[in-house]
Amino acid sequence: MLDALPRRRVLRLRPGQTGTLVAASVLAVAILACLLAPALWPLDQSAVALDQTRLPPSWAHPAGTDDLGRDVSLRALYGLRVSLLVGAVAALVATVIGGIVGGIAGTLGGPVDRLLMRVVDTVAALPHLLLGIFIVAMLRPSLGAVIASIGVTHWLSTARIVRSELLSLRNRPFIDAAISGGAGRRRILTRHLLPHVLPRLALATTLMIPHAVWHETALSFLGLGLPPHLASLGNMINDGQGSLLTGAWWASIAPGAVIVVVTLAIAALAVRWREYLDPRVRAELQL
Amino acid sequence: MTTPRLSTDGLTVRFRLRGAVVHAVTDLSLTVQPGELLAVVGESGCGKSVLAHTLLGLLPRNATVSGRAVLDGNTELLTGRVSGVRGRRVGLVPQSPATALNPVRTGRRLLEETLRAHGRPRSDADGIAAAVGFDPADLDRYPHELSGGMAQRLCTALALAPDPSLLIADEPTTGLDRPLVDHTLDLLRRRCDTGNTVILITHDLTAAQRVADRVAVMYASRIVEEQPADALFAAPAHPYTAGLLDALPDRAFRAVPGHPPMLTALPAGCAFAPRCTRATDACATMPDLSGTARCHHPLVEQEVAA
Repeated sequence: MLDALPRRRVLRLRPGQTGTLVAASVLAVAILACLLAPALWPLDQSAVALDQTRLPPSWAHPAGTDDLGRDVSLRALYGLRVSLLVGAVAALVATVIGGIVGGIAGTLGGPVDRLLMRVVDTVAALPHLLLGIFIVAMLRPSLGAVIASIGVTHWLSTARIVRSELLSLRNRPFIDAAISGGAGRRRILTRHLLPHVLPRLALATTLMIPHAVWHETALSFLGLGLPPHLASLGNMINDGQGSLLTGAWWASIAPGAVIVVVTLAIAALAVRWREYLDPRVRAELQL
Repeated sequence: MTTPRLSTDGLTVRFRLRGAVVHAVTDLSLTVQPGELLAVVGESGCGKSVLAHTLLGLLPRNATVSGRAVLDGNTELLTGRVSGVRGRRVGLVPQSPATALNPVRTGRRLLEETLRAHGRPRSDADGIAAAVGFDPADLDRYPHELSGGMAQRLCTALALAPDPSLLIADEPTTGLDRPLVDHTLDLLRRRCDTGNTVILITHDLTAAQRVADRVAVMYASRIVEEQPADALFAAPAHPYTAGLLDALPDRAFRAVPGHPPMLTALPAGCAFAPRCTRATDACATMPDLSGTARCHHPLVEQEVAA
């Protein structure tokens, strides 16, 4: 009897799960398309077709063509490749920097903590985008420069999360209990502190991806991201601006829709994951 | 004469607060032998738990400690490196078990981790859990899925896993039903019968009476009376001890009137004098712990009988 019940539950969605399923499917399709794009739909990024400019959406060009006659749907897909890569790597860079700074501040405490947190405050006082623009301008626009400029400006919240989590954990009675059971520094760190910090860190990284994608888009939109011939969602929205005035609204719609849908899907999954990471909530979900 | 398992001399703990000093433990001198079960009793806030934390080196940064505490005649607990001592030689059953368990780890993982760290096989986990009356099947639960009593037993199991020669049990019977209280107490008693030592910190005098060899009564950071358990329950010498015994349901069932003093503002003399029916002008000076009780006017046996 016990075998029969859970099997039925696997197939039946619980309330609130439909959204998760949709988000997961969207993201899976997007990632799969990104991975397979070069093999299935090869694209010469510098090729133009001046006899096909500003064609409205049709079967041949599902999202129309732009000022230079390039297929918008295909370029949006290639743009998504760049944006997701930039977003994921930049979020990882930010998490590593933030994790190290917050980890040192939270475990050592005292004057080190105060010094590091003043550094965080100082960086936070500068506008992110301005700092990012400054870094890209120093490094010349390229994929690496965009990743660096996002990573270096977005580790602050991660550092704060890790630090405050560690500081509050240090005073929890179960840490004292572990110490009195003979646990040394390393065991406290790996067995008792990290299991609390890591899920939060992973979640912060996940939530940072959509943010980083937007940031890349903003930099490219300002003409400071990737070289103009390379498709990125920001570049395309920027180009589409001009087309909008000439009535070719579709040049901006496809990249804009892609960025909204993909970032929403990632954010929705991250929220769902956060619920799952808490054993308390997980127990309720399994009821 | 054997080396005492633990001997403290003039142990004093102070907490510095903004504009105040908490007198948590004052001039505490105790000796516990191998195989002995010492109960430390007293009302809440008399310094019992601070004593436990001091011996394990778990005090916060604003604490200052003076005096000595020597384990097995060879290890200074207050100044030496205590990292190798904790768990294996001095164990702690913490107060408030609900918060003493890591909320993201199951009981089994906590127990196995402790076992492995002390060189014992993981497979011992079920046996240790069963010994404290914790169903091994419940080891796979997370702390929030345990009742208060189950968490309490799990904490006891965790402290027992390294088989410490000195176990400090801080209220190990909170939240347990009477049969489980007796089970836990008998478990502690049996440890002492095999040569280990237990310091049982409790406000449950009935528990102390059941298993303790000796009883130390704490009041306002000091030991006010220390006697073999039989003698203390038969003939308490300090009026406070007599008052505590009177509060037991099978005796007069009458609580000691008044409240204990604030540990930030202790009187210069006997701290119990304001609540004491026997207090005189002499009580304005601090009495010594001469004989059995720290009192200028100890009860004598006939008075107790009357």
